[in-house]
Amino acid sequence: MQPTTFETDFWKDANLRKIWDQIVPGEPRKTIPYTLTLQAIHKYCRVVGDMHPLYFDEHYASGTPYAGLIAPPAIHTLLMFACTPANDWMRSPGTVNAGQSWSYNKPARPGDVIRLQARALDKFIRNDRLFVVHDNVFFNQRDEVICSGRGWTIRPQ
Amino acid sequence: MRFEDLSIGQTIEGMPFQPTRESIRAFCDASLDYNPLHLDDEYMKGDFGKTNFGGVIMHGMNNFGVISKMLTDWLYPLGGVQRRLETRWKRPVRPGDVITPQAVIREIKVTAQSRWISVDVEVTNQHGQVVASGQAMAEFPHHIVA
Repeated sequence: MQPTTFETDFWKDANLRKIWDQIVPGEPRKTIPYTLTLQAIHKYCRVVGDMHPLYFDEHYASGTPYAGLIAPPAIHTLLMFACTPANDWMRSPGTVNAGQSWSYNKPARPGDVIRLQARALDKFIRNDRLFVVHDNVFFNQRDEVICSGRGWTIRPQ
Repeated sequence: MRFEDLSIGQTIEGMPFQPTRESIRAFCDASLDYNPLHLDDEYMKGDFGKTNFGGVIMHGMNNFGVISKMLTDWLYPLGGVQRRLETRWKRPVRPGDVITPQAVIREIKVTAQSRWISVDVEVTNQHGQVVASGQAMAEFPHHIVA
């Protein structure tokens, strides 16, 4: 069930989130399904200045091999936090995103019900910084892979 | 232009992007990433661990989105599909900076079932400093199956 509100205060529930010592590589992260709306797609597109007609113009998009409106590949930026509960360590204030790597299979579309399969993949120390690598796969309601990727985060603690 | 016209060393130019405090806030709303790194100047004045940025910074994933837009704007008219993007963030991007992405084709490969390119990606700021670098891969399928 999709929550009707999203907690925007990342300090709330901060004490419930795992610190680096507690994160176990291989352990799945609990996730929540999310229905991707056209409104959410457009909000993302506007902030990065990506106004391609494939994302905005139904008539144009229906005449392409995509046969309808799609979301841009990097929509997983929104999907990540949309599918992540408030008590997850990904929301720890001070988490630094050091890099990400993503592979793309099918475009996400307005109305898709997105499911995230996620886990901590690795953790290590480098230059006195605490790193955790997270691994993620997003599926649509037909269990088709939309995209998969991993991120390297520097933990605040 | 078609896949057959592509060549190693060919460059892809992206549009400049200038984040503001307002656009960073808007990215929080659009991405649901409300990390205080992007919102709280007081918090950002302090050290946390080994990191001190001095003030709010743009989301790394905003940078990722700017790169991806460059690639898809170039790929769609050619019948190409973005298949992979990997980036590492080298320097923080602050409100008022101007960042510009660019890519260079490094490999062209025809496989049993499709056609591919690999590109090196770099994003520089107004001082010519590299703020992000990485690699991307695109497919030029014989038929797009979406």
